[in-house]
Amino acid sequence: MRRFEPNPSDGALGFQIAPMIDVVFVIMLFFMVMAGEVKVEKELNSQLPGVAPTSGPTDFVDEQIITIAENGEVSLNDEPMDTPNSRDLPQLKSTLLRLKQNADAAKTPAIVTIISEEQAKYSRTVDVLDALAVAKIESVSFTVSEDE
Amino acid sequence: MAGGGGGDGEPEFQVAPMIDVLLTILIFFMTITSAQVLKVDKSIKLPIAPDAQKPDNQRAQAVINVRWNPAAKKAQFVFDDKAYDQSALLVPLLKHAREVGEKKITANQNPTFRALIRGDREVPALHVSLAMNAAAEAGISDISFSTVNKD
Repeated sequence: MRRFEPNPSDGALGFQIAPMIDVVFVIMLFFMVMAGEVKVEKELNSQLPGVAPTSGPTDFVDEQIITIAENGEVSLNDEPMDTPNSRDLPQLKSTLLRLKQNADAAKTPAIVTIISEEQAKYSRTVDVLDALAVAKIESVSFTVSEDE
Repeated sequence: MAGGGGGDGEPEFQVAPMIDVLLTILIFFMTITSAQVLKVDKSIKLPIAPDAQKPDNQRAQAVINVRWNPAAKKAQFVFDDKAYDQSALLVPLLKHAREVGEKKITANQNPTFRALIRGDREVPALHVSLAMNAAAEAGISDISFSTVNKD
């Protein structure tokens, strides 16, 4: 029986660069694709109402009230906006954009209070906060209405 | 006329610097992918808000997680990896966190201490409101809500 003997003339099996580059390319491609698909955590800001100093004159501004019903219906100043299933809330977004433009023109702050029913889903509140972020309205407070 | 690189032969393809560049790009993509994954709490499905702002990680903040158990229809408040059934139990902890955090406050990048609420998308608004009330009782008026950009 013939035994296998390495022949020095064949050349030593050294470190192979080509397969390594192949593997690195595949791994890099994987991470590049994953980087596009990855979920990124973002944030929406609000400010709780605080105590205002009373020594100086106080400006009264128009406060917009957005109510969220348990079934997901959103109303702006008691006027229903979009359908309860609409996640993008296009009507609310365009109305808020107009309100913000008017407030900027009048040089008054745009203040919005969100009043949600207790059992309404939190995701619906975030839909409304997202619409406010599109309109660049920053003075936002959030509360829940007590069940009657 | 000969090309750059000197010598008699033609300029050769250099493998070593190419590997350096490849590994650098690989490490870059590995870092940005894993940095985002680490933050995700599996027990909480954050609501989707594609137009939300980028997170401000420079701020001094207290993170309140609001978990939701749909089977038991019960919410849990998680602060510093400990779960509480009552939001009122968070008040002294948040107060302490605010006192510690306010020492780190700087004028520009970090103007106020804030509470970051990470609520499950299915949780009723009442429980998020209770978490906000606890923050308010602890003297924190700056509240932010965590969301994700896509499902």
